[in-house]
Amino acid sequence: MKKTVSFLIIFLVFLIIYFLQVNFFTWFNIAGVKPNLFVVLILVVGLFAGKNVGTSTGIVVGLLLDIFISKKIGITAITLGIIGFIGALLDKNFSKDSKLTIVLMVILTTIIFEVLNYFINAVIFSYSLEIATFVVKLLIEIVFNILITIIFYPLIQKSGFALEERFKETRILTRYF
Amino acid sequence: MYKNKKSGAIGIVVTVIILILLVVLSNINIEKLTVVENVFSTIVMPFQNGFTMLKNKISGNDTFFTDLDNLKTENEELKQKNSELEQSLRELEIIKAENATLKEQMNLKEKYGEYQTVSGYVINRDISNYTGMVVINVGSNDGVKPNMTVIADKGLVGNVVSVTENTAKVQTIVDPASSVSCIINTSKDAFITKGSINSGREIKATYIPTDAVLVQDTSVETSGLGGIYPKGIHVGTIKEVVNTQNPTDKYAIIETAVDFSKLDTVLVILN
Repeated sequence: MKKTVSFLIIFLVFLIIYFLQVNFFTWFNIAGVKPNLFVVLILVVGLFAGKNVGTSTGIVVGLLLDIFISKKIGITAITLGIIGFIGALLDKNFSKDSKLTIVLMVILTTIIFEVLNYFINAVIFSYSLEIATFVVKLLIEIVFNILITIIFYPLIQKSGFALEERFKETRILTRYF
Repeated sequence: MYKNKKSGAIGIVVTVIILILLVVLSNINIEKLTVVENVFSTIVMPFQNGFTMLKNKISGNDTFFTDLDNLKTENEELKQKNSELEQSLRELEIIKAENATLKEQMNLKEKYGEYQTVSGYVINRDISNYTGMVVINVGSNDGVKPNMTVIADKGLVGNVVSVTENTAKVQTIVDPASSVSCIINTSKDAFITKGSINSGREIKATYIPTDAVLVQDTSVETSGLGGIYPKGIHVGTIKEVVNTQNPTDKYAIIETAVDFSKLDTVLVILN
């Protein structure tokens, strides 16, 4: 029952992020660049709820995004699924109690997600790569994601540990080591 | 676990301020500097008024301030009138916005009267920074099918890539995967325009014939080749021509006629 409620809350957060991305951030942007809060959401789920939940949530969220707005179904689903999986891998090697490590994880996953997405799209739709423009936009997006992560860090941490309690049977209290 | 909560809160507040500053500064226009001008005049105005009054008194021109009671009554009446006018202005603005939307739809229908069209609104924009898709509120129920051309009041928007019963996904011409066969309005030189991940209204003209003469601000329209876009739809104007060492690599930057950040009403060409 608790797990179902958690999934419903994740879905609600997804909807809030979706409406922010398509409405609010179309004008609240840095030099025309929006953040990507879906990456942060899936990273947090993967990091705190584990490999299976992280990957499957990433795939479902990605599929919904593909259905809503993308040209081809599957690209965002695969890349967000990978982000959920990477979140779980990072959990095994790093502490989640530090703001700095969470910020570094956000940087890493934003880079992985956008690079994968861009190159897969470029191959499928055979368009010429604009590396310089892409790097500039990616850097701005990373800065935006970092600032939002710092602002919402207390909320991320609280909801993350709540997720961990519900989804991980053998909970390791890494924050006390 | 013994973190100072106060310093954490201050950190968050500082980050919020930095974020807002970044957003504001990166989106600021020169026109918006009138705000600075307003602030400056607010500071300077009291001093300026004081000096003027002093000057008037010295020159004996202080009759305005003799009948204070009359002025107060007049002031109240004017305030009352002002609030009434503000109310009617707000009502007028609502009517004006409604009128503008209807006019835009009418203009579109008149301008592209030769085509059988269906009008719609943009209901969703892309979440990514690297693609240019929009979703519109007309679908297969309205006769919309994939590969149909989508236009706006100012010119070409893009083409339909997929449809549901009530919505359609449109790939705009600024999407990096988009290619449009175009010609220059005057010389009829043909080339291909391609979308870019660069934000805004710029697309790149490639495969330009070596003998083509490209002049800045020349109008560019669709050539009708390629099977998707009909001939003669305005695409944009040439903003910059970049000559390279190899003349076959020459390209031009075209500013699209449609401002995609403000795109609202569109027409789908059905035939």
